[in-house]
Amino acid sequence: MDPNRTSQPFREFSHRLSLIFMITLAAALLLLGRAETYVFDRARQTVTDIAAPLLEVASRPVAATRRLIQRTDEYAYVFDENERLRAENQRLQAWREKALKLEARLARYEALLNVQVDPSIKYVSGRVVSDNGGPFVDTVLVNVGGDQGAESGQAVIDGNGLVGRVVSTGPHASRVLLLTDLNSRVPVAIEPSHYKAVLAGDNTKWPKLEYLAVSGAVAPGDRVVTSGDGGLMPAGLPVGVVIQTNDGDLRVQMFSDRDRLDFVRVLQYQFPGKVKRQDPPEGLKDQPEPVASAAASGSSTPGSNNGQGE
Amino acid sequence: MARLDPYTPTPAARAGRIVMTVVPFAVALVLVFLSFLPVGRIFGSSVMPAFAFIAIYYWAVARPELLPPMAVFAIGLIFDLLSAGPIGLWAFVYLLAYGLTVTQRFFLINAPFSVFWTGFGVVAGISGLVAWAAASLFFGQALAIGPILRHMGMTVALFPLVAVLLTRIQARVLPGT
Repeated sequence: MDPNRTSQPFREFSHRLSLIFMITLAAALLLLGRAETYVFDRARQTVTDIAAPLLEVASRPVAATRRLIQRTDEYAYVFDENERLRAENQRLQAWREKALKLEARLARYEALLNVQVDPSIKYVSGRVVSDNGGPFVDTVLVNVGGDQGAESGQAVIDGNGLVGRVVSTGPHASRVLLLTDLNSRVPVAIEPSHYKAVLAGDNTKWPKLEYLAVSGAVAPGDRVVTSGDGGLMPAGLPVGVVIQTNDGDLRVQMFSDRDRLDFVRVLQYQFPGKVKRQDPPEGLKDQPEPVASAAASGSSTPGSNNGQGE
Repeated sequence: MARLDPYTPTPAARAGRIVMTVVPFAVALVLVFLSFLPVGRIFGSSVMPAFAFIAIYYWAVARPELLPPMAVFAIGLIFDLLSAGPIGLWAFVYLLAYGLTVTQRFFLINAPFSVFWTGFGVVAGISGLVAWAAASLFFGQALAIGPILRHMGMTVALFPLVAVLLTRIQARVLPGT
């Protein structure tokens, strides 16, 4: 190496000066960023848009390697896995019968009561193309952008459950705030008791349950689903299972695996208040019903289901 | 491995000077980009090592004039923009680390690799602490310490890999250094 280049005092001085200037500038940016200015968001989005196609191409070999490793793993356990699946299949057959029966009954009840059924939700599938954004943020980039209909606020799920929600979109890529992120707050319901809570990320693996009215009514092992409060996400998306940490906190072990995210779906859900009311199926229309008047009064105020808690 | 012949000054030497000023920055930029590749998902854990941080430390020791503070700032800022975290956080931390390393440069420059590596460990530790404190202040709450420990630990563990790569780049692309 050659030290004689830096030995010039002037060079060193200007170097130091520019270092101090740059540190000040960075600190100033950090302070300014507290205000969350529009310019910063735009800059972020621009850089993301430029990087996303590159990341997408570059992450393909990564995804391929991953699949290869997974495949190899699966080959090693193929017999055990078969056995397990057969047993599971048997169990699930029984459940299927039950589910079909219940589904039919539910559809009938809903039709009779003229319940406003959630419209079927459209979705776009995409691939996660980036890693989490460093040690203080838990966001990923997905190669579904505004051109494909992604919008800020939409829920993102993988095969197992809720992953997070879209927080910003460009034409070809969106940023997804994962449930574990410090800034993530999602209204949830805990399943058998249907108590409402807010799932709050804190950069650890298991987000907390906040604003839980009666924590005694919730036990580890209970299912957590989205409650749909606020109208941002559809109700009933599976989120995870309640667990209790050593210090007694109630947290949630998510169904989705944030460390192995690959293909995800961006749900293009719209709050039902905005869509047309659905009429009961044809077969039920000509029934002699005392509920007709109730249904009519219900349908005249489509916005009234906002307050309809449970 | 086959080595190329040492670079000899040719009429392209002027172009070479431009390359010299651009290469360290460009390499660091590629490393920033590499950090965001979801490589961790292969193993089912999203550790993302700060490869660019290694480059900053390396050039701060080897040839600080090839990676001026402005370049360090730009690298940090691009990392911030890509990570969707507080803007200026990593720019600030990388610049501090850079400044710290430059002051210890003459101690590290001819030291054996183990000392070079340990030095990086110390710098990474301090930087991690500063970053954690700054981010905690920014978000107004004490953040979980686990992720930053893993992030820096992973970076220190992968240091030799990137350092060797950078040494090669320095030897081949940047002659007379």
